[in-house]
Amino acid sequence: MKLENEDALDNYVICHACYTLHEEVTIQDGAKACCTGCGSILYRYDTKLIEHGLALSITGLIFFVLANVFPLVQIELLGLEQFITIPKTIFSLFDSGFYIVGLICAFLILIFPFMIFLINLVLFTLLKLKRGEKLSKELLILLAHITPWSMADIFLISIMVALVKLIGYAQIHMGIAFWSLIVFVMIDIYIVKRVHLSELWMLRKRIIVEEKS
Amino acid sequence: MIEIDESKLIPCPVCAAVNIDKGKKNTCRRCGSAIYHHRSFSTEKSWAYLITAIIAYIPANIYPMLVTNTFGAHEGSTILGGVVLLWEHGSYPIAMIILFASIMIPVMKFLILFYLLISVKYPIGKDKKVDKHKLYYMTEVVGPWSMIDVFVVAILAALIHLSNVSIVAGTAATAFAISVFFTLLAAHAFDETLIKENR
Repeated sequence: MKLENEDALDNYVICHACYTLHEEVTIQDGAKACCTGCGSILYRYDTKLIEHGLALSITGLIFFVLANVFPLVQIELLGLEQFITIPKTIFSLFDSGFYIVGLICAFLILIFPFMIFLINLVLFTLLKLKRGEKLSKELLILLAHITPWSMADIFLISIMVALVKLIGYAQIHMGIAFWSLIVFVMIDIYIVKRVHLSELWMLRKRIIVEEKS
Repeated sequence: MIEIDESKLIPCPVCAAVNIDKGKKNTCRRCGSAIYHHRSFSTEKSWAYLITAIIAYIPANIYPMLVTNTFGAHEGSTILGGVVLLWEHGSYPIAMIILFASIMIPVMKFLILFYLLISVKYPIGKDKKVDKHKLYYMTEVVGPWSMIDVFVVAILAALIHLSNVSIVAGTAATAFAISVFFTLLAAHAFDETLIKENR
């Protein structure tokens, strides 16, 4: 294989699932490129990714705040009413002395999802304004480190499992935060889990090249 | 013009940029992170995390995960006990989810990582029949889902604490959370490029 210089390697992609080397090809807007070896998606091309990302990051943050402020579920047990919010769940773990579990939960379902959306917001703003070349690099590196540790979707499934366990013992009412969390998780899957980080790196490079020319 | 051997190209573990494998002191040309600079002890870190996770998994199965206090009577249930109880109550889907998330996935992950770590050092399973990249990718994807049980316990404990009836998290919750945390670390610390070199 012959190349002009090392930077020409940017035109190649290695599949994240099976490690096959691919040459990057230009594809239609809205299309996706798949791996020839295992069929998993290599990258997508979306001209409106910055706008979508910016809008959905703001929406996600709003729903995240809603999901944390309002009651998640309310139950009636033996004539008494109880409700929980997400922060209350974590604080009750601290209260009963489970500091390690409390800390792990706080990071996985509260701090990391919030950080990811905040970083995305700043990142897409920078890309939109075509500025902050260095900052966007640092943000992308940080994002790569914390993305695997965000577990809002798993928490949502856990709530459902916990509630099914309680059916028959107590009356259950879903709160506003539960529906907000569902919306938040859907946005999270759409903009964080579906978009590979390498697509954001490619986008950043395109913008820098555009700016320089 | 430079000549590059195609088999010497590796992705950066942080930003997935294609890089030339330069040996020990190698930094990513795009994001500047170190690319497996710990070549001299490539698998030891992952081994250490994995063994910690397995040790923590033992108390997670012995001690109760949930302690139910009903009118002064304490009753603890372990992970397996909880699954059996749910199965007897007839909630088969939930019993299956918990069984998968807290027993099958961690044990599978231990075995797969064990196999991968051994097979990159010693010539076991060199016949290419097992797709090790796929195995590793699978453990990465399904791994976080074992946290379900910890979250369920946290929710139940927060939701039900009346004076007569209350649910408290048990010792196993801490052990299990630590175990899952360390399996995730072990999977992240595993050097994927070793698979390519040894097959």
